[in-house]
Amino acid sequence: MLPADCSRRLVAELRGALDACAERQRQLERSLRVSRRLLRAWEPAATPAAEPTLGPEAKGEHLSPACTPSSQDLKELELLTQALEKAARVRKGISKAGGDKAPVPKSGSTVTPVTTTPSHLQAPGQADGRVSETSPPRGICQTKAPTKGHPERRLLSSEDRISWGRGARATRPGPGLRDQQTAPPAAQQAPEAFTLKEKGEQPRSEALNNGFPDRTLLQLPMAFRKAASQNSRLWAQISSTQTSDSADATTTAKTQFLQKMQTASGPHGPGLSAAEVEAELGRLQEACSLLRLRMEEEVAAAPVDWKQELRCLFTLEGLQALAGQCLCRLQELRAAVAEQQLGPWPVGGSRSTLSPCGAGADPARGPRLLLYSSTQELQTLVALRLQVAMLTQQIHLEKVLMAELLPLVHTQGRWGPRELSLCRAVHSLLCDAGERFPTVLQDEPTG
Amino acid sequence: MGRQRRRVDRAAGAGSGTLPEAIAALSRALPCGPSPETFRRAKFDRPEAAPALWQLLFRVLSPVSEAGATAPPAPEAQARLVKAALRSEGYPRPALAQLPEDGSRGSRELLLALSWLLARRPLLERLLARTRVRLGDEVAVCECEDLAFGRANTGLPALGLGSELHVDIRHVQWLMGKLRFQWRNLVSTQQEQCALLSKIHLYTWGCHSDQSLGHLSATETEVLRDPEGSQQLLQVLEQENAHLAATVEWRRRELVFWQWMDTVLDTCPQQAPDAGSQPVFLPKIPDHRAGQWELVAGEMQALEEELRAAAEPRRAAWEAQVRGQSRDPAWSSALRALQETVGQELAALRWAWDQGRDPAQPHGLYRLVRSEPGAPAGRGLQAAEVIGALRSKEACLEAALRQLQGQCRRELARLMGALPGFVWISSPVR
Repeated sequence: MLPADCSRRLVAELRGALDACAERQRQLERSLRVSRRLLRAWEPAATPAAEPTLGPEAKGEHLSPACTPSSQDLKELELLTQALEKAARVRKGISKAGGDKAPVPKSGSTVTPVTTTPSHLQAPGQADGRVSETSPPRGICQTKAPTKGHPERRLLSSEDRISWGRGARATRPGPGLRDQQTAPPAAQQAPEAFTLKEKGEQPRSEALNNGFPDRTLLQLPMAFRKAASQNSRLWAQISSTQTSDSADATTTAKTQFLQKMQTASGPHGPGLSAAEVEAELGRLQEACSLLRLRMEEEVAAAPVDWKQELRCLFTLEGLQALAGQCLCRLQELRAAVAEQQLGPWPVGGSRSTLSPCGAGADPARGPRLLLYSSTQELQTLVALRLQVAMLTQQIHLEKVLMAELLPLVHTQGRWGPRELSLCRAVHSLLCDAGERFPTVLQDEPTG
Repeated sequence: MGRQRRRVDRAAGAGSGTLPEAIAALSRALPCGPSPETFRRAKFDRPEAAPALWQLLFRVLSPVSEAGATAPPAPEAQARLVKAALRSEGYPRPALAQLPEDGSRGSRELLLALSWLLARRPLLERLLARTRVRLGDEVAVCECEDLAFGRANTGLPALGLGSELHVDIRHVQWLMGKLRFQWRNLVSTQQEQCALLSKIHLYTWGCHSDQSLGHLSATETEVLRDPEGSQQLLQVLEQENAHLAATVEWRRRELVFWQWMDTVLDTCPQQAPDAGSQPVFLPKIPDHRAGQWELVAGEMQALEEELRAAAEPRRAAWEAQVRGQSRDPAWSSALRALQETVGQELAALRWAWDQGRDPAQPHGLYRLVRSEPGAPAGRGLQAAEVIGALRSKEACLEAALRQLQGQCRRELARLMGALPGFVWISSPVR
C-alpha cells in the first residue's frame, strides 16, 4: 500500500486526466450524433430508414414541404406502376398477385402500404441485390418527374416494396423480371441513381448541365444567410479597429487612467496577475526542457579537438548559469505569490475572458480557414493533434509518477516479496507506461 | 444631477451628448449590461447601482462554464468570486476588498474596477470571442485548448477521497490502463467524425452562398435539416450581431468615457496610503499549483546538479591541460571569440523560451474547408503544413518521453542491481 498523501496526489492527478479525456469524448460524441443524423434519411415521418442506400440520396432530394408534385406527374406515375404490375402478373401468372393492387394511391394514403410492407423486408441478404433492382424503376420515374417531392419518393419506394414483396412470395421470377426491366433503362439511369453522392464526385459543370435543380433547394434560408454575412462583416470591422488604434488619443487616455488608478491606491506596487504568474511558470518549464535537451546534446557529443572541448565546456557552464538564474526567478515568483496572496484562480482554470488565446481574439489574420483535400488528410491531421495532446499528458504524468514513486523505491528497508512486486509495478509504470513488466529471479546459491 | 451632467459634458469638450451615447453603447455591448442610469448613479456611489454592477463583474470574470450556467450563485458567492478574481488580476485598489459582500454598497468602486478591466485589454472583444457563434466545423490548431482541458479538471479539489486514503499500486496501474483505453476510444471516435464530416462537405459542394467556402458545414446543414430547431441559433446570431454593432460604436466614442472616468476617480476620497494589511482572507482553497511549483523547482534543481556534475570534471581536465601550455595573445583572442559565440547561442536559447509562443505560428480555431489540392495559396492554412508541424512536435515529445523513461530505467536497474540474491531482468526497450 502506498502512503496516504502519495496516494491522494496520484489518484487526483490520474482522475483529472481521465476526466479531461472523458470531457473530450463527450464533446466529440455530441458532434458525432449530429453528423450521423445528417447523413441518414432526413424526414422523420417518411419512409423508414431501413434502406441504407437511400440515405445519401434522401439528403439530396429533401425538399421543403411547400413543393408538391403536380397531379400530372402523379397520374403518370400511377400509370407506370400499373403497367409494371400488369407485367408482373402476366409473367408470374399468379392469380393472387392480381388481388392487392391498390397500386399507388394518392400521396395521402401512401403511408399505409409503406408501413405494412416492412414485413417483406425480412431478407437482408437480398438487400444488396435490390440495389440495382430498385434503381431502374426509380430512375424511370425520375426522368418523368423532374421535381422530386417527398410524396413522390414515398410512392416510388412503396412501389418497390410491394413488387419486391410479391417477388419474394412468388420465389424468383421477380429477379428475372427486374433484369429485363433493368436492361433498357440502365443506360440512362445509372448516372441518376445516387444523385447527391455522385454530384460530389462529378465536376460541378457537369452536374449543373444535368439540369437538376437540387442545388438551389439546398440553400440556407435567407434570414440565416443575412445574419451570417453581417456577423462576419462586423467581426472584420472589429479586428480592423483593434489593429488600427495603436497610438491615438484613446490609448493615451486609457494609459493615463490606469496610471492614475495605480498611484491613487498607494504604495502597494504593481500587482502581478495570476495569469502572468502561470504564464511565467509555463515559460520556466519550457526553459527546463530546452536546457535539458541542450545538455544531452553536449554530453553526448565527443569532442575531437581542443576547440570543441573548450566549446563544450563553455556551453555546459553557460547552461548551468542559466539554470541557476531560472531557479532564482522561480523563487522570486513564489515569494511574490505568497506575499500578494494570489490564490489560485477561483473556479479552476484560466479559461476566462482574460486569457489571450480566446479563439478569435486576434482575428486580424484574415479568414481563418484550414484547407484539406481528402478524408485521409483530415484524419491524419486530427490524429496527430490527439497524439500530441496525449504525449503532453503522458509526459506530465510521467514526471508526477517519478516524483511520487521513485522516492518510495529508494526508501525501501528490507526486500521481501511485497517490496519486489512494488518495484516491478513501479518499473512497468515508469518505464513502459504500464505495458510491460520486468522479471525478477531469485538467485538461489547452489550447493 | 442634470446640472452636473451638463458640466461634465462641457468638460469633455467632445460635443454635448456624446457621453450618454458612449455609455449607452457600452451598456448595449456588455452581456447583461446595466442600464446607462446605473453608470451615472455609480459615479455618486449610490447603493441602488451596486447589485447590477456586482452581477456584471461576476459575468465578466467567471470562466466560460460558469457564465453559461442557468442559476447564478447567491450574491455573497458572486461578490467573493469577483473580489478573488480581481485580486488575481492584480487590481491595485484595496478599497474593493473592503466592500461588504451582501452587494449593498460600493457602486463607485465597482465602476472603477470595470473601467480598469476595460482599459487593460480589449475586454468586450474577448467576451464576444468567448461566446462566439461557430458556424463552421472548427478545429484547433494550437495546444492551448489541451491546457484548458487539463486545467479545468485539476483545479477541482479531490473530493470523494475521504475513505480511500491508502491505495494499492495496482489501483494506480488500473487507472493508467483505463486512461490508455480511453485515449484509444477517443482516437477512433475522432476518426469516424472526420470521415462523416468529410462526406457532408463533399455532398454539400456548391450549396454555400459564400464562394470562398464552397460547401456547408455540419452546423449549417443542420439548419437545413431542421429549420424550426435552428431558430434559436438564428436568434443567438442576431443577438451577437447587436453586441458587435454596439462594440463598434463604443470604440468610436470611448474617448469621452475615459475623460469622464478621470472625473469619477477624482471624486473618490483619498485613500490612506497604508490602510493596513488585507483584512479579507479567502477560505483556503487547496492550491493545486503548489504541486506544480515543486515539480518545476525540483526539475530545475536536478538539472543544475547534473550540469555541475558534467561541467566540473571537464573544467578540471581543461585546467590541467592548459597549465602546460603557453599563453600567447592569439590563443587568448581565440578563447574570447569562442566564448562570444557560445554566449550568443545561449542567448538565442533563452530567447526561445522567453518569447513564449511564436507569434507567426497558427493559433486558435480554424474552420475546416475542403478544397482541391491545387488551390491558390493565401486562402488559408494548408493541412499539409499543419501536419508537418505536428509531426515534428510529436517527434520532439516522443523523444522527451523516451528520455524520461530511459532515466527511470537506468535508475531502477542501478538500484535493483545492487541487491544481493536477485537477478533483475528489465523489460526490453522498445
